[in-house]
Amino acid sequence: MGSSAADKALNLLRYLPRVCLANIRDNPGAVKKSRRGRGQHGGDYHGDGNKGSGQRQNFMRLGYETGNNPFYLRFPWEPYYKGHHLRRQYPPLSLEQLQLFVETNRVDASKPIDLVSIMNTGLYQIFPDKHQFGVHLTDEGADLFKCKVNIEVQWASELVIASVEKAGGTITTAYYDQHSLQAMINTKKFFERGIPIPRRMMPPPDAIEYYSDPCKRGYLADPEEISKERLVLSQKYGYVLPNIEKDKDYTLLTERKDPRQIFHGLHPGWVVNLKDKTILKPQNEDLKEYYAS
Amino acid sequence: MSISPIFSSKMFHRFICHFRQALPTRTLSSTAPETSPVEPNKNVIIEPRQLKFLPKYKEPCQVWVENLDTIDENKLGIIELHPDIFAVNPRIDIIQQNAKWQKLYRYVSYAHTKSRFEVRGGGKKPWPQKGLGRARHGSIRSPLFKGGGVIHGPKSPNPHFYMLPYYVRVNGLTSMLSIKLAQDDLHVVNDIEIPSDEPQYIKELIKSRNWGPSVLIIDEVDMMPRNITAATDEIQHVNLMPVYGLNVYSMLKHDTLVLTRAAVDLIEDKLLTALHRNSTFSYTKKFVLNQV
Repeated sequence: MGSSAADKALNLLRYLPRVCLANIRDNPGAVKKSRRGRGQHGGDYHGDGNKGSGQRQNFMRLGYETGNNPFYLRFPWEPYYKGHHLRRQYPPLSLEQLQLFVETNRVDASKPIDLVSIMNTGLYQIFPDKHQFGVHLTDEGADLFKCKVNIEVQWASELVIASVEKAGGTITTAYYDQHSLQAMINTKKFFERGIPIPRRMMPPPDAIEYYSDPCKRGYLADPEEISKERLVLSQKYGYVLPNIEKDKDYTLLTERKDPRQIFHGLHPGWVVNLKDKTILKPQNEDLKEYYAS
Repeated sequence: MSISPIFSSKMFHRFICHFRQALPTRTLSSTAPETSPVEPNKNVIIEPRQLKFLPKYKEPCQVWVENLDTIDENKLGIIELHPDIFAVNPRIDIIQQNAKWQKLYRYVSYAHTKSRFEVRGGGKKPWPQKGLGRARHGSIRSPLFKGGGVIHGPKSPNPHFYMLPYYVRVNGLTSMLSIKLAQDDLHVVNDIEIPSDEPQYIKELIKSRNWGPSVLIIDEVDMMPRNITAATDEIQHVNLMPVYGLNVYSMLKHDTLVLTRAAVDLIEDKLLTALHRNSTFSYTKKFVLNQV
């Protein structure tokens, strides 16, 4: 037996009676029971005091100041949170975390990284039903970011774009609608449903501008413009832009999805049969036209 | 057979169960093989086991592999057990939470009382409000009355189902297995083939090996050999269980736990998988009833 606490406890148990149903207990004080008090002083109002909000739980509504002109009405309207329940949210993932994922083989940097590969690490979650639309790659660890990756995220700042490109990689921001996200967050579960891969929808009007902006590396932007902006950004941040045309991983770094495509290598309309390990493709001309449009 | 120096303190412990007092020649064979003079049978070679996720600063535990095909114990060799499964901190509190959960999750209370509105009658004012010199009352089924309703009484059915967090369940199993091994109540057998289907054989075997009166035998599969099934069928305190049924309550309930070699492999594999999951989101999230 060693000297750890567990070993000492196990050694002690050798001298003690057999642990059985009759001699086990929880830690003292682990479970606190809320009980209605009884008796002389515990019983009278059961701790709720005499009359009013305490006894009846009819607390004032939030912001009400018992008849004063309340704070939220006293000052002009400042709509910081207007439509907050409709706004798209992007849960953060830092560059530092991304580097950790790559270095610990949680993601494979020799393939394009997208939301699916980030979800497959099991260390990142999004909930599309809570208006979360994908990854916001944040700049924490930007100075130390060293991975050459081809990554596709849903939101990225200028500094993040600069650090990915400085490390020799490429970054794209791409939009996925709710149905596409549902297919991506649990790929196995989606394929088990046996339904065709949906078409990725175009971004809503208020997101079109972001995703067609070459400065934001939007997936709808002109590639020529993006390549110009890469140079502009390198000059702004003062680094030598790695020449990806000469890179041996040129095909990896320039691989992009079609704006209608959700998974790398799979096209909309295809059905993946996990049991037989086959892919069923639509034969009907109308269907082909529908999924190609 | 050597007698361990700790035996005397064990014997005179006031809580020690009667069975241990009745059988004063226990050996510490299962966890202290180097102190036992019994040489392992050289003819049977037990291959060393590959322990996955072996921690750096913990030694594997060792346990004898025994046989069941003779009444007297025959040691076949030693195998190593994973310290993260069989030598973890014995958390009595987690074991108690598991045992309590196992009792409660399937318990439904059918106790039922009627409120003053559910008790039959009592619609009429029993006597006028004033003029009789009696206390004022509106109903003979008021809770103040004999035969009246009950305030805040139990209502049927009242299920006590709840789900224990995943890792409390996993740690309950590892704690319990560690305790069983530490207290010499865990035995590993090569298989559960016995030569006879007589209950008497099992009874004598248990007696000769100083196993507790109640024995839980765990095998890898749920279709077990005919002889042991028939022999233990009539004995209520000797039970067979497949690995997938292994649980804290049954281990507490039975004095001795007997694992087959294959069951040890499977239990270790399952529990190590549970302890080293890449993604725990789906296991640690809140339990939802009626989930798809």
